[in-house]
Amino acid sequence: MRDDICNIVENIQIQGEYYLLKIHSEYISARAIPGNFIMISVSSTMEPLLKRPFGIFETDPPYIWIYYQVVGKGSRLVSEFKPGDKISVLGPLGNSFPPVTNQSILMIAGGRGIAPIHFAIKKYQKENKISLIYGARSKHNLNLLDLLKPLTLQVLLLYSDDGSIGKRGNVTTDLRKTIQKSGISITFSCGPDNMFKSIYQVTRELKTRDYASLEALMGCGFGICYSCVIQTRKSGYQKVCTDGPIFDMDEIAW
Amino acid sequence: MVDLSVDLGFICLKNPVIPASGTFGYGEEFLPFFNLDLLGAFILKGIYKNKRMGNPPPRIQETPAGLLNSIGLPGPGMKELKKIIQRVYQSTSTPIIINVCGETDQEYLDVAEYFDGMEEVAILELNISCPNVKSGGRCPAQDDKHTYRLVKQIKQSVSTPIMVKLSPNVTDISAIAISAEEAGADCISLTNTFLGMALDLESRKPVFPNIVAGLSGPAIKPLALRLVWEVANNVHIPVIGMGGITTGQDVLEFILAGATAVQIGTINLVEPAASIRIIKEIKETMEQLEIANLKELTGKLQT
Repeated sequence: MRDDICNIVENIQIQGEYYLLKIHSEYISARAIPGNFIMISVSSTMEPLLKRPFGIFETDPPYIWIYYQVVGKGSRLVSEFKPGDKISVLGPLGNSFPPVTNQSILMIAGGRGIAPIHFAIKKYQKENKISLIYGARSKHNLNLLDLLKPLTLQVLLLYSDDGSIGKRGNVTTDLRKTIQKSGISITFSCGPDNMFKSIYQVTRELKTRDYASLEALMGCGFGICYSCVIQTRKSGYQKVCTDGPIFDMDEIAW
Repeated sequence: MVDLSVDLGFICLKNPVIPASGTFGYGEEFLPFFNLDLLGAFILKGIYKNKRMGNPPPRIQETPAGLLNSIGLPGPGMKELKKIIQRVYQSTSTPIIINVCGETDQEYLDVAEYFDGMEEVAILELNISCPNVKSGGRCPAQDDKHTYRLVKQIKQSVSTPIMVKLSPNVTDISAIAISAEEAGADCISLTNTFLGMALDLESRKPVFPNIVAGLSGPAIKPLALRLVWEVANNVHIPVIGMGGITTGQDVLEFILAGATAVQIGTINLVEPAASIRIIKEIKETMEQLEIANLKELTGKLQT
């Protein structure tokens, strides 16, 4: 973990409020593993004050890629970064998805949740069979399909709430069937909180191990401020930044 | 060569920079970023007698150049903290300060006595801004008599030097500072966070379950500077200033206003090695302004 000044290499608008950001960081790109995130300083002034957390989409030493959606003031400022800009980046941060081999892993991504899932597929595809369920509100929110093509996927299922791309429905529409048919033993997921809740209803019943990459309002990203807590079943509040962001879904008090 | 050392009377620090409680974890979290030996001292996250979970989220909200927090002092309890201190002590010879909390006067006393005499502990900072269950939720810092009673009781029971951390949420902060001094406090630190609020218009509810929250960060610097200046003019013990410090120049301003040393808070969350940059900036600014040592500047405000 280091706090470095890094160069922005590219900041590509994918569609609407969705962007891919390429950052030069030899240190982070050499060390990051799937699940890790970084904290980015969005302004060189004190306003806004806090860094912002972003999941890592891919490492390509000496570069890292971030896939993000403009949702507020912080990400709006990130979208204005230009190649050559120098920004302060802290990372790599957080824990990672569990190490597994020779398993059938089902990856589940909701909207911008594709970021850590994409990184996980890249790293896990050599030693595991990977399937992907990717859903969003509409085709406007479901991006980067070109980047999924080179991946080795057993099954790829796309869903949108409005049916504008893939099947009408959401990531849980055919979840039970997919887990049973494809012999899935473990799932990795990332998306909004209500998505985790509906996934967990299915995986709990099927006794499928499920690891979720959680988002939280973060202050520091390295365990100091105790802001980003989530209620767990047995261990009280846990910090999403250092105890997570990856949690066994059984541990969370949904 | 400029001299950055400061003398609190009962202890000399190699420089005036002290990371503040609640923004520096238990010290060890900062080992990946710098050597703790570079600091003047550092203060651990506030500790109660028993383990505490803290407040339900959300716990923070950003404000213009500031941060509202309602963390609720989660912590492992004093026994677990003792083990952590023994571990951190292996990594540094810098003075370690414990931030002592309590829901009752007795709890403050129990925690202070528990750490008293530990060779690893240089100073006990009393966080008198904790809501007191026997005073209807009012904190000792809001009442000069309560402050006097609490500080006196602790001074009579422990030999470790006491730093009393004041709250800005009072009518007359000097009266509280004088009470702490009369009760035997060895030094005073200020200021803790300013009470604030954040609201959600749509739900017509406060953002924080606790309704109110504490404001920190650069936004409060002018307010804190005024309070430090006022208190330093009214007590004879050293004052440790804090509130929105982010640069070496800020530190020198607090010292000019009357502080002997300073605490660095919110900026630690944003820039883990901020304290080290600030120490460098103090040195550079002193050289520029031809200030040989900090004593030369302390309280020398020309009014």
